[in-house]
Amino acid sequence: MTITPRERVLMAIDHEVPDRVPILLGVSNATGIKMKPYQAIKEMLGIEAPDNYLYDWPELGTAAVDEETMLRLHSDVRGVLDLEPAQVMDRNRNRPPHDDYIDSWGSGASEIKPGQWFPMVHPLAGATTIEEMEAHAWPDMDDPTRVAHVAEQAQRLADENQYAIVATPWLLFPLERAFAMQGMDTFLMNMALYPEFAEALLWKLQNVCKQLMGRFLEALGPNVDIIKIGDDLGTQESLLMSPDMYRNVLKPIHADWIEFIKARTDAKLLFHTDGDVFPLIDEFVEMGIDILNPIQTSAGQMSDLEALRDRYGTKMVFCGAIDTQRILPNGTPAEIRAEVRRVIDILGPGGGYMVSSVHTVMDDVPAENVLAMVDAVEEYGSTSTKSW
Amino acid sequence: MVDDNVVDDDMADESDYDPTDSILDSLYDAITAGNAEVSVESTRSGLESGMDPLTLLFNGMIPALEEVGRLFETGEIFLPEMLISARAMQASMELIRPHLADQSSARVGVFVMGTVAGDIHDIGKNLCNVMLEGAGFEVIDLGVNVPAANFVAAISEHQPDVLGISAFLTTTMPEVETTIDAITTAGVRRDTKIIIGGAPVTQEYADQIGADGYAPNAVSAVRTAKSLLGI
Repeated sequence: MTITPRERVLMAIDHEVPDRVPILLGVSNATGIKMKPYQAIKEMLGIEAPDNYLYDWPELGTAAVDEETMLRLHSDVRGVLDLEPAQVMDRNRNRPPHDDYIDSWGSGASEIKPGQWFPMVHPLAGATTIEEMEAHAWPDMDDPTRVAHVAEQAQRLADENQYAIVATPWLLFPLERAFAMQGMDTFLMNMALYPEFAEALLWKLQNVCKQLMGRFLEALGPNVDIIKIGDDLGTQESLLMSPDMYRNVLKPIHADWIEFIKARTDAKLLFHTDGDVFPLIDEFVEMGIDILNPIQTSAGQMSDLEALRDRYGTKMVFCGAIDTQRILPNGTPAEIRAEVRRVIDILGPGGGYMVSSVHTVMDDVPAENVLAMVDAVEEYGSTSTKSW
Repeated sequence: MVDDNVVDDDMADESDYDPTDSILDSLYDAITAGNAEVSVESTRSGLESGMDPLTLLFNGMIPALEEVGRLFETGEIFLPEMLISARAMQASMELIRPHLADQSSARVGVFVMGTVAGDIHDIGKNLCNVMLEGAGFEVIDLGVNVPAANFVAAISEHQPDVLGISAFLTTTMPEVETTIDAITTAGVRRDTKIIIGGAPVTQEYADQIGADGYAPNAVSAVRTAKSLLGI
């Protein structure tokens, strides 16, 4: 019996053993491939396809991977995204070259060298009061051009019924949105100095996000398998904020966010959170997060995959865990194959694991290493499942 | 807000600390709690009442910063609390610094710091600066997105005891090696010790590219710098 990639993903999410460990690649800015490695992969494979960007947003730098390459990467998912309002995209397309990119929220990116954009424009950088927050020109989330394409695209994928549908509206993440509005260090300090303001800003951001998420989910209807949300809560060594601060301030906001989404869709919820977030996984389970991404194995306790599996293997699906800080950029194809086998052996048995690179495949990853990763999954991920 | 327990009541036991001096007390408390307004106020009233700036620094500010570093390393406080303590320290240092200009005894060394070309991340680097300054280093911050040539020029100009190079991304980490190579090639490295840090950086990488030390966080940057200088 052959099963489709979509069934493969759904089985793994349901903690059943699929025919092969699924691959989630190429569908969002955190599970994607940057333009440079994408071009290298296409060249290596002799694939002719345009250099399109996710969200039609070149400054983000992540490729919209063409169908032929997605097939060669054995990716078991296809993505549905929203767009910035047509007017904002036009304004940015027509701005003088090298000028800051400014999005509909008023936050933006500066070009620090040709083609390299970093989020450096923070419109609420100096705000510490609710009055200043309210005075901001908040984006129009009802602009129909944000989601005009969503229903048709999701319907087409559902009709084809081949791939799991992963939907990721851009950065509807309260904490990271606050970082975009204020700058990361400024907002973290405001969480300690002006906790009422910081909390009010998070709720305000979430309420604005809800307007778009509501419309996005409405457009998707039943044609979606995974909704991706998140907020980076870890650092290389530990948590970004204390567990108490998380529980008191951010957790109620995340819980409300998850409840809002789950009330509107049956899709599974994938939560993306970088760094060492091990101490918060109980909270993630409690809030109803189904899939944890990216399992940053290079960060603190997240390297202990056995502990992760033993404690949370039946309660959480893991997605990611193929290291992008050392192994993918610097390893040999043989080392990458060995790492894929090692991770699959720990997280794979019983289902509940989907392979992905830890965050997006960056510019420093050679094309052959990306192929080594997915080919190892295709080979070993199929043979190993027979013994589970 | 920061828990009350970050304020160390045992300070009074230290021999070089005057328990009757409420200014040092409130300065210490303000920095550990991250209250810049009070730390500035205490520093100012200390200076106005004729206290030795070095007393404010060594008996108030530095012990406070050391306590903050300890609490961060033991996981009792996190980035938000550490950032506001660093901010309070910095605000007090602004007032103290002019008085230290001719006090070379207060200085353990010169530290030049920068984030490599192509990288604009600076939260960790800035925390290092405050901790290093608190530990007695004169810190010269070159900022972010610093080309290798600027590191070379800064070494020639300032002849620092230690150079710190930071990179946050795997894609900018190779620039650390490029920078060290440029410094070596230019023949300006001499006795300057080089410490590297940033999310993807490891001890192994430091060894591989010929850095003298690696620091995973701001507290360890101070420790590593001091140990390399034999302090």
